[in-house]
Amino acid sequence: MADNEMEIMDDRGGLGVGEDVIGDRPRRYQRRRPRNMVPDYVDWKDVDLLREFVPERGKIMPRRISGITAKDQRRVAKAIKRARSMAMLPFVDD
Amino acid sequence: MGNRTYEVMYIVDPGTEADKIEKLNDAVAKLIEKEGGEVIRMDDIGMKDLAYPIQKKNTGHYVLFEIQGSGQEILELERRMRVNDMVLRYITVRVDEDRKKAEKLRNKREAKAAKRATFRATAEAGETTETAEVEAEA
Repeated sequence: MADNEMEIMDDRGGLGVGEDVIGDRPRRYQRRRPRNMVPDYVDWKDVDLLREFVPERGKIMPRRISGITAKDQRRVAKAIKRARSMAMLPFVDD
Repeated sequence: MGNRTYEVMYIVDPGTEADKIEKLNDAVAKLIEKEGGEVIRMDDIGMKDLAYPIQKKNTGHYVLFEIQGSGQEILELERRMRVNDMVLRYITVRVDEDRKKAEKLRNKREAKAAKRATFRATAEAGETTETAEVEAEA
C-alpha cells in the first residue's frame, strides 16, 4: 500500500521533492530514476556533466535521487569536489 | 617509479599581463622537462568566471597541463606554485589509473556487444548487415 502511494507521487512527478507522510514514516523523496548517463571516465573538468548532479543549491545530489550506481556516485562526487576546488563549481549557491 | 600521467591545472591572477602568463607557462614546461617529465598537452584555456571569489577576484585565467613522468617533477612544480603570487589556485590529478580502468570497462562492454551481435546474427540467419558489423569491429 505504501508503495502504491509512492507510485502516485511519481506520476505527478515534476515537483521533485514531495512530502507525503505514510503512517508514521515520512517519505520525502522521489523514486530513483534509472540512469546510465555516467561515462566510464568521469572527467572532473567536464562541468556540464557534473552540473547534472548539482542542483541549484550547489549540493551533490544524493544517490537515492540521482539513481546511479554506488560506484558511479563515488566517482561523480570526487569529480565534483575537484571541480569545486578549482572554482568551476560552487560550494554553495544561494 | 613508473610512468604516470598527471593533469595539472592552475588559475592565474586575471590582472597579470598576457606575456607574463606566457612566460609562466614556458617556465612550467621548462621545469617539467628539467625534472625529467614530459609535457603531453598544454592548454591555455583562458579567462573564465569563477564560481566563487578567490582573493576577491571573480575571474581567472585557467591553464591546463598534461604531464607524464615519475611524480618527482610534480613535487617541485607544486612547491613553486605555492609561493608564486600569480597563481591563485592549482590542482594536480593523477589520471592514468582511472583512464586505464575506463578503457578496461569499455573493452569489456564492446566485447560483450560483439558477442551478442554474433549470437543474434547466427540466430536469425540472413541478417548480413550485423555480421558485417561484427567483422568490422573484430
